[in-house]
Amino acid sequence: MKLNVLLGVGALLAVFLPRSADCRPADADAAVATATGQRRLPLMLPRPLLLLHLGEEFSLRLGGGSAASSPSIPPSSSSSFSSSAVNVALLRLTQRLLQVRAEQQTRAEQQEEEKEKRSEEPPISLDLTFHLLREVLQMARAEQQAQQADSNRRMMDTAGK
Amino acid sequence: MRVMERTFREQLFFLVLCLSVLKGDSRYIETNEISKDELFSFFNSELKRETPEALMYRRPLRCLDMVAVEGQFTFTAERPQLSCAAFFMAEPNEVLTVEYDNVDIDCRGGDLITVFDGWVMKGEKFPSSQDHPLPLYERYVDYCDSGSVRRSVRSSQNVAMVFFRIHNAGSSFTLTVRKHINPFPCNVISQSPEGSYTMVIPQQHRNCSFSIIYPVAIDVSEFSLGHYNNFPKRSMPGCAESGDFVQLLGGNGIDTSKLLPITDLCISFTGPTHMKIGCDNTVVRMVSSGKFVSRVSFSYRLLDSQELQTIKLNNVEDFCFNN
Repeated sequence: MKLNVLLGVGALLAVFLPRSADCRPADADAAVATATGQRRLPLMLPRPLLLLHLGEEFSLRLGGGSAASSPSIPPSSSSSFSSSAVNVALLRLTQRLLQVRAEQQTRAEQQEEEKEKRSEEPPISLDLTFHLLREVLQMARAEQQAQQADSNRRMMDTAGK
Repeated sequence: MRVMERTFREQLFFLVLCLSVLKGDSRYIETNEISKDELFSFFNSELKRETPEALMYRRPLRCLDMVAVEGQFTFTAERPQLSCAAFFMAEPNEVLTVEYDNVDIDCRGGDLITVFDGWVMKGEKFPSSQDHPLPLYERYVDYCDSGSVRRSVRSSQNVAMVFFRIHNAGSSFTLTVRKHINPFPCNVISQSPEGSYTMVIPQQHRNCSFSIIYPVAIDVSEFSLGHYNNFPKRSMPGCAESGDFVQLLGGNGIDTSKLLPITDLCISFTGPTHMKIGCDNTVVRMVSSGKFVSRVSFSYRLLDSQELQTIKLNNVEDFCFNN
């Protein structure tokens, strides 16, 4: 009994003591959790095994899930525990990737539809007679000549200084 | 002995050269404020000095406007303006860039600013779809669709235009117009009713049009199909067979594909060909197969009212005088 209590305290201490630098808190990004999940697997193995030995029940936090909502895995078999947790993480990641891909596809399809609609629509146009067009063209040419004359005058003034 | 003398002479010359360089008899590179102060700036073909912001020409943009100068043009809506357009024009050997600046419009409220690569009038566009490299929907660049991504639009020829619709008084936007040299102009609208021009298509399979939006008398002085080494080609039989010819077109629209052919020139020649065309739009269009360096030179002048009247009376087919 006392031995069990001591072991339990030791396990609790091992869980809650600060870990080394390569450990990161589980955040909302499932990709991060899962991308490192397999790498972290060897690190995770000893603790679940230790806790299972004590007959404790615990829950694994995965990609944004709270402790209460994440699946609580009964300490039935130690060998399948880690793989099932990883499988769940992989499943969630796959679902998320498929969702993102579907969104991208629908967005691309929408853009294609918009392009087609735009090509079918009559182009924006202006009803203008040639007479009016020539009038504004003449005004523009007069403006251009005046601006050129002003530029020439400034150049001569600068050269004369 | 002679070899020794030669070696000694070479060494002496080298020594004299080094001494003159060290003495500074060579001219030092003068800084030229036109060129940018960069190592590879001389590789930059866009080495034109850009007008500094302070010296840039500025004026308000009108609801219906034509701009033939570089500068900044600001439109401020005093009241809702739902159907406005501004035409931009450059020299035949130039292209335009139009940049959006300080745009304050309500896209979701239906405001729009759309730049078109070319001119559109009464549903007709220049250059025509046959002669323009881009499909029609790519020639319209809508600020509300792509303004954050694409703030500058470059035209493919010397003309461009912008359509804009503003619902709310006080909304405004600024357009900065710049001109750039186009070494191989293809489609051109002439700024003036008189002048001369030489159109060259350097062994490219494309069609180019020179549009004069006036009734003119036109003289085609030379049409040649030359090889890349500029030797003139012997005359080819028939326009359809050669695939290289010049069309004179006329009509009352700006779409060259909808104009009526007045005459075709298929055979290389030197010597004036006179024509008087009493249409609102006169176009010299060159069709090139890409086998030759095609060149056509022509001059044109405005028809006076007397000449126009004579043409109208004499022509059996008065397609240019139909309203």
